Amino acid sequence: MSVSMLASQLLVGLSRGMIYFIVAAGLTLVFGVLRVINFTHGSFYMLGAFIGYSVAAGIGHGSAGFWLMLVLAPLAVAGISLLVERGFLQFVYRREHLIQVLLTYALVLIAGDLVKFFWGSQYRSLSTPPIFTGSFATGSITVPKYNVFLLLVGPLVALGLWLFLSHTRFGKICRATATDREMVDILGVNSTWIFAAVFALGGWLAGLGGALMAPVVNISLGMDANTIIYAFLIVVVGGLGNIWGALISSLIIGVGEAFGALFMPDWAVVLPYIITGVLLILRPSGLLKSVW
Amino acid sequence: MRTWRFSRGLSFVMILVFLLVLVLSGCGTTGGTSAKSGSSGLTIKVGIIDTYTGPPTAYTQDALDGFKLAVNDIAKEGGPKIEYVTRDDQYKVDQALSWAKELVMNEKVDVLAGTINSAVSLAVSQYAKQNKIPFINWGALSDEITGAKGHRYVFSTPPNTAMIAKTGAIQISQLPYTKFWLAGSDYEYGHLVVSDFWTDLQKLKPGVQKLGETWWKIGEPDFTPYLTAIRAAKPDAVIVGAGAADIIPFMKALKATGLSKQIPVWIPQSIDAGTLRALGNDQPEGVLGTNQYFYYYPDTAANKQFEQEFKQATNREPGFAGLYGYMAGKYLGAAIQKAGSTDREKIVDALEGLTLDTPVGQLTMRKEDHQSLDPLFYGKTPGTGVVANGLVQLSPDKVMPSVEDVMNARAKK
Repeated sequence: MSVSMLASQLLVGLSRGMIYFIVAAGLTLVFGVLRVINFTHGSFYMLGAFIGYSVAAGIGHGSAGFWLMLVLAPLAVAGISLLVERGFLQFVYRREHLIQVLLTYALVLIAGDLVKFFWGSQYRSLSTPPIFTGSFATGSITVPKYNVFLLLVGPLVALGLWLFLSHTRFGKICRATATDREMVDILGVNSTWIFAAVFALGGWLAGLGGALMAPVVNISLGMDANTIIYAFLIVVVGGLGNIWGALISSLIIGVGEAFGALFMPDWAVVLPYIITGVLLILRPSGLLKSVW
Repeated sequence: MRTWRFSRGLSFVMILVFLLVLVLSGCGTTGGTSAKSGSSGLTIKVGIIDTYTGPPTAYTQDALDGFKLAVNDIAKEGGPKIEYVTRDDQYKVDQALSWAKELVMNEKVDVLAGTINSAVSLAVSQYAKQNKIPFINWGALSDEITGAKGHRYVFSTPPNTAMIAKTGAIQISQLPYTKFWLAGSDYEYGHLVVSDFWTDLQKLKPGVQKLGETWWKIGEPDFTPYLTAIRAAKPDAVIVGAGAADIIPFMKALKATGLSKQIPVWIPQSIDAGTLRALGNDQPEGVLGTNQYFYYYPDTAANKQFEQEFKQATNREPGFAGLYGYMAGKYLGAAIQKAGSTDREKIVDALEGLTLDTPVGQLTMRKEDHQSLDPLFYGKTPGTGVVANGLVQLSPDKVMPSVEDVMNARAKK
C-alpha cells in the first residue's frame, strides 16, 4: 500500500464528503431554523438532477449546457421549494412533528409521481463537460477531474454559507431564529419570510447537489431515497441544525467510506452505519452543538 | 393581516394545481386493454403483475410492449384471443401476492405473468404452485425460479443468472487471466451472478485465484473509491455484477478513472444496446460483457422483422426484456393452439417441450425444468456507438445447467 495510493483515496473520499455536505447543509439549515424534519429534501435533490438534465439536454450536452444547468437547476428547485413552503409547510409549523413528517413524506410521494409524469421512468444520463473528462494522473495517484472539481465547489459552498450566516443581517437573523424563535418574533422580525427564504435556500442547496451529481449518477426515480438517508445520518451525527457539524461528519463519512473500500472492501456497505453508530455512542447529541 | 390572506389564497391555488396534476398523472397509469378477437374461438385471460413505477419500468415497459406485440400477432394469424389486465406491484413481494390473489379471484385470470423482481417472481411462483395456476416469468433472472424452486406451474422465458454467468465464464476462461477481483451491487442478482461465475470459472480453468471482493449498496453515488481500491490490488481482471441501477454510473466511472484501460473488466449487459445508448460519450472501450439479446445480431430476417414491428409499435428498438415478453406471449398462444383448450392443466402440458420460431431462432421450452432454451452472446464494448465488437453466440446446450443439476437442486430443497 503506497503513500500515493492513500493520497488519491483521501482526495476521492474528500470529494465524496463534499457532495454529502452540499446536500446535508440544506437539510440541517432547514432543521435548525424551521425545526421541520424535511423528507422532501431528497426530492429536491432528485428534481435538481432532472431539471439539470432537461437544461443540459435542451442546450445540447456541451460545456455551455453543463454550466447553465449548474446555475438554473438549483434556482428552479429553490423556486419549487418556495412554493412548497408557502403552499403546504407554513400551515404545519405549530403542529406536532408527526404531522410535519406525514406532510413532507406525502410530498416525497407526490414529487416521485410528478417526476415520473414529466420525465418518464427511463434512466437518464448526462456527460461531464469536456474539461472534466478523464483523470489527473501523476505517478500512481489517479483522481478523476470531476472529483477534483467537486473538491473545489464544496469548500466554496461552505465558505459562501459561512459568509452568509455570520456576516449578513439576514444570516444573523437566521441563526437567531435557530437559537430562540420566540425572541426573534418579539423583536419584531417577520419570521414568516425568514422561514420561506431559509427553506428556499435549503432547496437551492439540494438542487445544487442534484445538478452536481447529474453527470456521474443515473438520473432516475429513487435517487431521492438513497440521498435522504445519508443526509439524515450526516445531520444527526453532526448535531441537528449545525452546519459545521454537517461539514465535519460529511467529511468523516466520505473519507471513511473511501478508506473502507480500500482496507476492508467486504464491509464497505455497512461502514457509514458503523461510523455513525460509533460517533453517536461517543457523542449522543452529535459532534457539535445541536440546536435542539 | 392582508399579506397573510393573500398568501393563503395563493396557497389554495397552488394546492388545486397540485391536485389537478395528480389527477392527470393518475389517469395515465390505469392499464388493461384487450386485443382484437381471433378466429379460433378460444379466449384466455392473463393477469400481468410487474413493476410499473420506479426505475425498473425501463425494462417492464419493454416486456409489456413485447407481450402486446405477440398478442396482436397471434390474433392476426387467427390464433386464440389473449386478453390481459396489468397490476403494479411497486417492486414489492406483499403487493404482488395480493394482486395475484385479486387477479385469480376477481378477474378470473387463467394464467399469471410478469415480473422483473426475482423475489416477487419466486413468491408469485409459490402462489401459482399452491393454486395450480400457470405462471410465466418473463422478467426476473434468478436461476432459482426454474432451478431449485421450480415446479409444474412455473415457466421462464429469459435466460437466468446461471446461464449469464456460464457465458461469462466461457468468455473469460479463454483469456490469459488468473488473478481476479470480484465486485458488485449488494443484492440478490449481484451476488448470484458473481458467485455462479466464479464457480463456473473454477471448473473451466482450475488454478484461478481470487484476490478479494468489493460490494456496494444499490444506487451508490460515486464508484471512484471502490475503483481506486481495486486498482491497488492489481488483479488480472475484475468481475462485476452491477445491478440495473448501477451499471451506467459504474461504467462512467470506469471511463473517468481509466481503470478498464489498465485492467480488463467483465460486466453482464455492458454490451447491451440500451446500456451503451444511455452511456453516450462516456462509454469505456473494451469492457467485456454478455447479453441475452441484440436487435441487430444475429442479422437474420426474423430478427429484423421483430425489430421493425417493435419499433413501429413503440418508436424504439427492443431490448432483451422486449424479446422475452414477446416470447412469453408466443409460447402461451402456441400452447393454447396445441392444447386446443384454455384448461390450465392442458396449457401446462402443452408448454412442456414446446418449440417455437422466434426472432433469435428456433427455441424450446425445456420439458423437465420449464426453462426456455435461449441463446446467449458475449463481446466487447466498442467505445462509440451501440453495436458491440467481436460478438459470439453460444447455443443453449453450452450454457444451460443440466437437467440432472436442476433436479438435484430441487431434491435438495
